[in-house]
Amino acid sequence: MKWLEISVSVRAEDIESVSNIYDDIGTGGVIIEDPAIIYDVLSLGNIETVAFETIPEQGSLPIIKGYLPMDEKLSSRLAEFQTALVGINSDYPSKINIAEIEDSSWSEKWREFYTPVKLGDRFLIQPSWLPIDEASEGLLIIEMDPGMAFGCGNHPTTAMCVEMLEKIVFGGEKVIDVGTGSGILSIVAALMGASSIIAVDSDSVAVKVARENVQANGLENIINVREGNLTSGIFTKFDIVVANIVADVINSLLPSVPHLLKDGGKFIASGIIAGRREEMARNIENSGLKIIKVINSGEWTGFLAEKP
Amino acid sequence: MAKRVVAIIKLQVAAGKATPAPPVGPALGQHGVNIMAFVKEYNERTAAQAGLIIPVEISVFEDRSFTFITKTPPAAVLLKKAAGIESGSGVPNKTKVAKLAQSKIREIAETKMQDLNAATIEAAISMIEGTARSMGIEVIEG
Repeated sequence: MKWLEISVSVRAEDIESVSNIYDDIGTGGVIIEDPAIIYDVLSLGNIETVAFETIPEQGSLPIIKGYLPMDEKLSSRLAEFQTALVGINSDYPSKINIAEIEDSSWSEKWREFYTPVKLGDRFLIQPSWLPIDEASEGLLIIEMDPGMAFGCGNHPTTAMCVEMLEKIVFGGEKVIDVGTGSGILSIVAALMGASSIIAVDSDSVAVKVARENVQANGLENIINVREGNLTSGIFTKFDIVVANIVADVINSLLPSVPHLLKDGGKFIASGIIAGRREEMARNIENSGLKIIKVINSGEWTGFLAEKP
Repeated sequence: MAKRVVAIIKLQVAAGKATPAPPVGPALGQHGVNIMAFVKEYNERTAAQAGLIIPVEISVFEDRSFTFITKTPPAAVLLKKAAGIESGSGVPNKTKVAKLAQSKIREIAETKMQDLNAATIEAAISMIEGTARSMGIEVIEG
């Protein structure tokens, strides 16, 4: 997909008004490149903690950037943008820069910085485009290309889920992974011996990415990746339900969890931000499950609960 | 030694509704930040402010990990909400789109005070009035 990047340099006092025009034409947000932010940090003089890759010229004006999809509405939105800019400063339309960009220009860039990462006690998440490091001997290797789906192995919420899976998967379990993202947790469970896994995501991008990762690890006979809304249409019982999503979605999922679990089955809920820890603990207990372990990591919390 | 900051990215995006699409994708992608990790965390931290645009300053470290702080919503967003309008005027000096009482401007200035570069509340009020004018909002007594 192609986008038009629209940049304009403005005086500091006009940052808000100009950002607001971007909002009005529907860019869905802006990037503000304000040299003052960089110079404020540099003026603190703590050079041990900063190593800025680019430093704007001193005295240069802030630049605001917004993006519009290149569709039939583009020219009318651009015209609206220019008219509104004149209302703030008649010079501003001459300061506009436009450039066409492709999705791929940013969605691939992070790969340069993605390195193998150890996960839990036993796993190494190996970017599928890099050679395997000899030092990884003894670890179970997961080949992973998260693309634009969540779950590349280095997020604390993923690590918490793996830590809990390592405690409860012994072999032969039936698992459902709700909000699978890149498929990482399903792959971990499969490599530990789970016998059948359903991996669900409502996002078609994630479903595609998860399928590719499952295949890259040769696990398509164990993991069934499907597009769907939470657990709708699923009526079988599982030994383990794992959901690394966010608090609101887990709240919607919770009423169905006890029905999905066999007696003694386990529920892993992760992606809970610190401010909602108590609420989530209460909701899990109220659903009839018993919390047996809580893991906190930075701002995030994960729960392991059991159906009595 | 502490990890060093290699970039600071400032964005304004809708609370609870960030996506990997622009502006988030290009802003973070070019610095090698994991876009989906940011989206998940930003949406969780701003969920309670849904409906507002929230500015965020992201510090990117050498290993491409990141932290971020959120700020108060932009004055223009608070002004539009207070005036009950969807967008500002394209020609603010000619067409006025709403009227707002001085007391409302003071309220917004007080909310924004912590993030404004203003020494006194009067200075903050005058900044908010300037933004209101540029949007075609007339400030009236009251």
